Amino acid sequence: MEKIKILLVDDEKEFVETLSERIRMREHDSDVALDGEQALKKMDDDLPDVVVLDLKMPGMDGMEVLRRIRKAYPKVQVIMLTGHGSEKDEEEAKKLGAFEYLEKPVEIETLMKKVKKAYKIKFESTMMAATFAEAGEFDTAKEIRDSDEDQDMLNNDKKKSK
Amino acid sequence: MNEKEIKFIGKITAGVTHEVNNVLASIREISGLMTDILSITDETSFPRKEKFQISLQKIQNQVQRGIKLTCQLNKFSHLSDTNKTDVDLNEIIEHLIFLTERFARIKNITLQNRPSTQSITITSDPFLLQMSLFNAVSYLLNRMDNGCEISICPDKNGSQCSVSIICKGELLDKTSIFKDSSSSEELLSLHSIMESLNGVYELDESNTAIIIKI
Repeated sequence: MEKIKILLVDDEKEFVETLSERIRMREHDSDVALDGEQALKKMDDDLPDVVVLDLKMPGMDGMEVLRRIRKAYPKVQVIMLTGHGSEKDEEEAKKLGAFEYLEKPVEIETLMKKVKKAYKIKFESTMMAATFAEAGEFDTAKEIRDSDEDQDMLNNDKKKSK
Repeated sequence: MNEKEIKFIGKITAGVTHEVNNVLASIREISGLMTDILSITDETSFPRKEKFQISLQKIQNQVQRGIKLTCQLNKFSHLSDTNKTDVDLNEIIEHLIFLTERFARIKNITLQNRPSTQSITITSDPFLLQMSLFNAVSYLLNRMDNGCEISICPDKNGSQCSVSIICKGELLDKTSIFKDSSSSEELLSLHSIMESLNGVYELDESNTAIIIKI
């Protein structure tokens, strides 16, 4: 089993520290940040595979943290974990690139299943980027996504011209 | 109550339920950690391990109950977010059952949700609509005997949507249900809410039911 590096971001100290301990008992790496600024700083120093992020926090809110993570570290997958979130929040988080949107509290086994799925995606996109870079075709995973977007546009143009 | 007051209560309730949910989430994780530790602890080194496990399970069950309650209360607090939106009648009745269940249980009356097989969506004020249904159920609960039943059935006929709240049961004294209807506080309140919603309510004495038409 791959050891996944998880960063938990939540201002509820006891909740997040306990969750982190439970994740470590399941043989994964887990670190904690109590606000958005701290999370981004920790990510600059040591990049996790998956971030589990609360939506409502003092200071920078979860949506802004998500936006910054997706911009600076597009391969890192983000799972939003929030209490009583709205459909609108879920829609916005997904639009910003959140991998999953879960309501707090969540069964740890459910959370770990989602974390493993998110990690798989992160791992595959990293591998793909490396393969393309080796072949000299692409430099980054961003270019893979861009190429998908180009393909979509091409397909749309073809449909229009028919 | 005016719109500002309703919104104020909604906002405060939403905030508090969010905080209570955080408390419950913490208790759940802490008891989960205790369960994790217990599962890797040798039986011989932990006397009365089974009793401890059962107690932990009881804590987790109560936390789960608390989470369900705060979730419903949070939903209720958001009814006042807007005074005009699409409301799913089946959904609002499910929520009504939660809001009135305790009052029914105290009187030993069963609430039966009879959802429509079709989805019935109307554009209305969700807070006032819920309040109208609550008033109708409260009226009946206050006049019914132990062991009876209330069925709540939404329906749609053309552009007319309705909710029938029907009393049933062998012990039901049909004559007493609508005896003091003209002076009842619940029905006076229901009347003014229905005016705001551009709807009406009817007392169906032969079927011992209140029908709300929206």
